[in-house]
Amino acid sequence: MSERKTRFQRLTDFLSDRLPLHKLSFENMVTKKEVPVHGMSWAYYMGGLTLLFFLIQLVTGVFLLFYYQPTVSDAHASVEYITFFVNSGFLIRNLHTWSSSCMIFCLLVHVLTAFAMKGFARPREITWWSGSLLLILTFSFGFTGYLLPWHQIAVNATKVVLQSIEEVGRYLPGGFANLPTYIKELIQGEASVGQATLSRFYALHVVILPLIFFATLGLHLLSVQLHGISQGIDNPSKKTERFFPFFILKDFWLWGLAFLVVFILALCLPFESFYSYPLFEAFDSLGSTPDGIKPEWYFYFVYYPLEILPFWIVMLGMTFAGAGLFLTPSIFKHTSRKVLSIIASVAAAYLIIITFFGQAIYEAFKGVSG
Amino acid sequence: MKVVLSVLSLTMIFVTPALAHPEFQRHFKETSGRTINCAMCHVHPDGPEGLKTGQIGSLTPDQLNTLGLARQANKPGSVVKSPILNEFGNLIVETLGKDKIMELKQSPGSLPDALSKTSDLDGDGITDAEELKDGTNPLNSYDGSPVKLLKINFFRNWFDLFMIVLATGLGFYGLYNLLLWLSVKAGRKGQ
Repeated sequence: MSERKTRFQRLTDFLSDRLPLHKLSFENMVTKKEVPVHGMSWAYYMGGLTLLFFLIQLVTGVFLLFYYQPTVSDAHASVEYITFFVNSGFLIRNLHTWSSSCMIFCLLVHVLTAFAMKGFARPREITWWSGSLLLILTFSFGFTGYLLPWHQIAVNATKVVLQSIEEVGRYLPGGFANLPTYIKELIQGEASVGQATLSRFYALHVVILPLIFFATLGLHLLSVQLHGISQGIDNPSKKTERFFPFFILKDFWLWGLAFLVVFILALCLPFESFYSYPLFEAFDSLGSTPDGIKPEWYFYFVYYPLEILPFWIVMLGMTFAGAGLFLTPSIFKHTSRKVLSIIASVAAAYLIIITFFGQAIYEAFKGVSG
Repeated sequence: MKVVLSVLSLTMIFVTPALAHPEFQRHFKETSGRTINCAMCHVHPDGPEGLKTGQIGSLTPDQLNTLGLARQANKPGSVVKSPILNEFGNLIVETLGKDKIMELKQSPGSLPDALSKTSDLDGDGITDAEELKDGTNPLNSYDGSPVKLLKINFFRNWFDLFMIVLATGLGFYGLYNLLLWLSVKAGRKGQ
């Protein structure tokens, strides 16, 4: 009984330390809040930019809902209708697509810089965990949203991912071996990717994920506000600037600039023009599958290794990376920011190389093996 | 007369093999680095043979007549409305005639040069000939070389872009001053 009480006390101590709600005051969160100024200060803006792109996603997503039809017979036609016939439909859809990529880019930079700046150190563990969950949720948004236009690349890439989930079962022991198949069937909803899958992805993309995202984002922002901005470097400079109005003003100017860039891109450069046109034809289960089926660029970090390396190596790597993400506050508790910066730089280099040169690396490997 | 035409057309269709021209597809796929399928020129992405919409097996007797007539367009200048070809495919046959197309199969890279230098069926600002070279869809205004589309659309939409820059700039200028004013007020309150 006493042990239970101790555990409970420890939990309440942990939570009161990580979520000091008594600090919720206008002075602490606005007038007296200071932001450290140093060489990595630019990274403090990445979270805000991610939020901006999420807001663009939200607004454009609601507009798309007015016309989108989540049925296998009409989904592709409704997307075509939005693109070619609805007033500014092309702009809204392209804004949605461009801002999703920008959101994921900013989020990845935010995670890497927060890691390098030790933004996960006590008492900011909840900020880090909620941020990690937001990262996973954002990838889930990308994955579920990818299927909705029901074109060739969407359906076939989804099939490949779901097939990969099932393959995990081959490496699991005993009763766990059927778990991935069960998860796949749960996501898919029927024997193959079809109406049930589309309905589930649609529900996830527009209702379930946003609700979880809002709750997690709320916790993340609350935690950031309660603890203020982390010092960011090992030897903190004494130079600071006031959060209000100076930092927030710069943040808003950056928002304006980022919005303009995305708007110009959305108006002038269709996101789909980077891909071959057969990939965006309506999915035909009886027709031929065009070449070049692959997931969105932000999944290349796992897609190309899967194409090159044995499946179990990639799965093992991803399991360690996923576990490491959530255990970061414990694993790197005593690591200096200099070492963390090196690790973050290596991770960034990997992401850049695999995203830009993944295809070339894959072809080189294929050539060697072939 | 109609019966004679029908018989003539059907005979033409069944004695002439369904000529999709994969030489062109292969060439432009290699040179552009993009995936290209039959939908570049045909109605159906899998080509003319089959039973689906836009394929020979799905055509009505009237459409078969039209197809038969289209197949006789050996010289340039004939009006072609082949039901198995899309607008771009029909334009190629109209512009060049079937004889020239057969001749160009030996050097598929010359096809864009033989086409009109001004025709732009989708109105995206990139000519059909260029789109063929780039491996992009000449009938989809949102498909094209990204660099070319960015440049063309930037100049096409300059007024909209100017207005959005102005609106964003003014909006943030107002917000900037509002926040400064709030900051002064909050400072006074603190004192």
